[in-house]
Amino acid sequence: MPEQDGAIAATGMGGAMDLAASEATTLERASGGPGGATDTGRPRSLWSDAWRDLRRNPVFLVSALVILFLVLISLWPSAIAPGSPLSCDLAKAQDGPGPGAPFGYDGQGCNVYTRTVYGARTSVTVGVCATLGVALLGSVLGALAGFFGGVWDSVLSRGTDIFFAIPVVLGGLVLLSVVTSNTVWPVIGFMVLLGWPQISRIARGSVITVQQNDYVQAARALGASHSRILLRHIAPNAVAPVIVVATIALGTYIALEATLSYLGVGLKPPSVSWGIDISAASPYVRNAPHALLWPAGALAVTVLAFIMLGDAVRDALDPKLR
Amino acid sequence: MLLEVRDLHVEFRTREGVAKAVNGVSYAVDAGETLAVLGESGSGKSVTAQAVMGILDMPPGRITGGEILFRGQDVLRLKEEERRGLRGTGMAMIFQDALSALNPVLCVGDQLGEMFVVHRGMSKKDARARAVELMDRVRIPAAAQRVRDYPHQFSGGMRQRIMIAMALALEPALIIADEPTTALDVTVQAQVMELLAELRREYRMGLILITHDLGVVADVADRIAVMYAGRIVESAPVYDIYKAPAHPYTRCLLDSIPRLDLKGRELYAIKGLPPSLTHIPPGCAFHPRCPMARDVCRTDVPPVHPVSEERGSACHFWRECLDDRDH
Repeated sequence: MPEQDGAIAATGMGGAMDLAASEATTLERASGGPGGATDTGRPRSLWSDAWRDLRRNPVFLVSALVILFLVLISLWPSAIAPGSPLSCDLAKAQDGPGPGAPFGYDGQGCNVYTRTVYGARTSVTVGVCATLGVALLGSVLGALAGFFGGVWDSVLSRGTDIFFAIPVVLGGLVLLSVVTSNTVWPVIGFMVLLGWPQISRIARGSVITVQQNDYVQAARALGASHSRILLRHIAPNAVAPVIVVATIALGTYIALEATLSYLGVGLKPPSVSWGIDISAASPYVRNAPHALLWPAGALAVTVLAFIMLGDAVRDALDPKLR
Repeated sequence: MLLEVRDLHVEFRTREGVAKAVNGVSYAVDAGETLAVLGESGSGKSVTAQAVMGILDMPPGRITGGEILFRGQDVLRLKEEERRGLRGTGMAMIFQDALSALNPVLCVGDQLGEMFVVHRGMSKKDARARAVELMDRVRIPAAAQRVRDYPHQFSGGMRQRIMIAMALALEPALIIADEPTTALDVTVQAQVMELLAELRREYRMGLILITHDLGVVADVADRIAVMYAGRIVESAPVYDIYKAPAHPYTRCLLDSIPRLDLKGRELYAIKGLPPSLTHIPPGCAFHPRCPMARDVCRTDVPPVHPVSEERGSACHFWRECLDDRDH
């Protein structure tokens, strides 16, 4: 990279300024005068740099491929899975792998492979929607509280305390047991309701830390407005912990959906979900372990992929690690 | 007069009590003039500057009195919106540590360009071109290439140049430089100071140079204001102060500069510590450390005595101090 070499050489010349300056002009001319000007017009932001970093990171590539695969099969499950997840043949109950059913059959004689593939849709929908909801609500409220402080902050902080005091599983049992709708939306709503305080607390703390930096004061001293300071100077510096926690939380929301479905208050049959399958398979795990292991394995891989993705994104968003 | 601070009082409400950081500071800077504000840490020099810029953290800070006249207008009476419009265009500030005063996730071109986008409504591309010009202006080598680099990729001196470029971007009438060279090594310090002085001459800006380094001041400043415990104890043209200080604190400061002709002798140090701002001593705040202190210093706050037309000293015994040239 000749461009970067030039830059490093220029830094090294710090001692003899006039020399460095004159050499710089020659450098510039050498690189083609007006041509250099068009080069500077190319926008290069934190995000485009992060993206360049991510593309070279194997952890990101692996987890992104897994997630891409999950998204694709949740959009078009029939492309790779034969039959319907709801057409079951009791005669084949607990059978091992057979033609068209590489993962075998569960206690109801349903094709485990088909059900696992179809279950991805539920998990991905719940995970992504709950995380987006939590991240948006939590970071907006948390950032405003951290930025403006005072009464706002006190009200919000006490609010998060109240929500933190609600045990997730118990809260789910109480709140979701009264819901009759058998879709993912009540589950997602419940997760957003209980999940936002976690993100808002992190966003608030992160904003308060970043706000104390000199560059925020410098931006203020140079005439930037509240919204500009918050969006351009604080948010990009404060967002990394939120992204990391949100991606890790995404994994836990997928696991939580499975937990709630396992307990019978999340999704209920005939919905298809890994949690339902794990729950259904657990009584006869000794006779037909495959009916439990495949959906559980899929759940574990999915959760892991999102957590790894979160890690990779965090590293890419920190320019100091470059 | 470009900027006139009149009898400014600032205090901070802390858990230990009310810290009186600034107690009646008055100073003035004209266009094209350099005023050096000198003082130890905690003497209120930075707080005064923050109050002038309007970036004081309130609360816990509070301006309890005084006026800040910028081109004859009291900025303390302006609305926040109007005040914000003044920052960057009318007055700008250079911070001590450029590494922490530059946003780490924005490349320097974006940060420099932001000034033009915010205040001049330029397109991103035009702003970027202006950023390169500015970087050239403060003599950053290979500006066109480096405009997309991040602050941490620059050396300390180069970062401070970028900071200066940012402050200069909209050619403000007044620049406040808060210890602009403290974080740099000595040779780079000299280059940065030279650059500042040159740019000030060229743009005919007023420059307030906040520092605790007397050596830096001598070359570039026109006037010096020495601060102690939130007050200006002596203000004078730079030549007069170096020739004969009219306040014992200034004298002590001058005596504690290492000098080549006194090699081998013990370096003078002012005894004691600067006072706690929550418990400023009664009378003259400097009396517990003053070699000339007498009874009256413990009880009476010294007014500012006019030593000459453009010189003042807040010492009861300024005459003695002035006469005692080689103590």
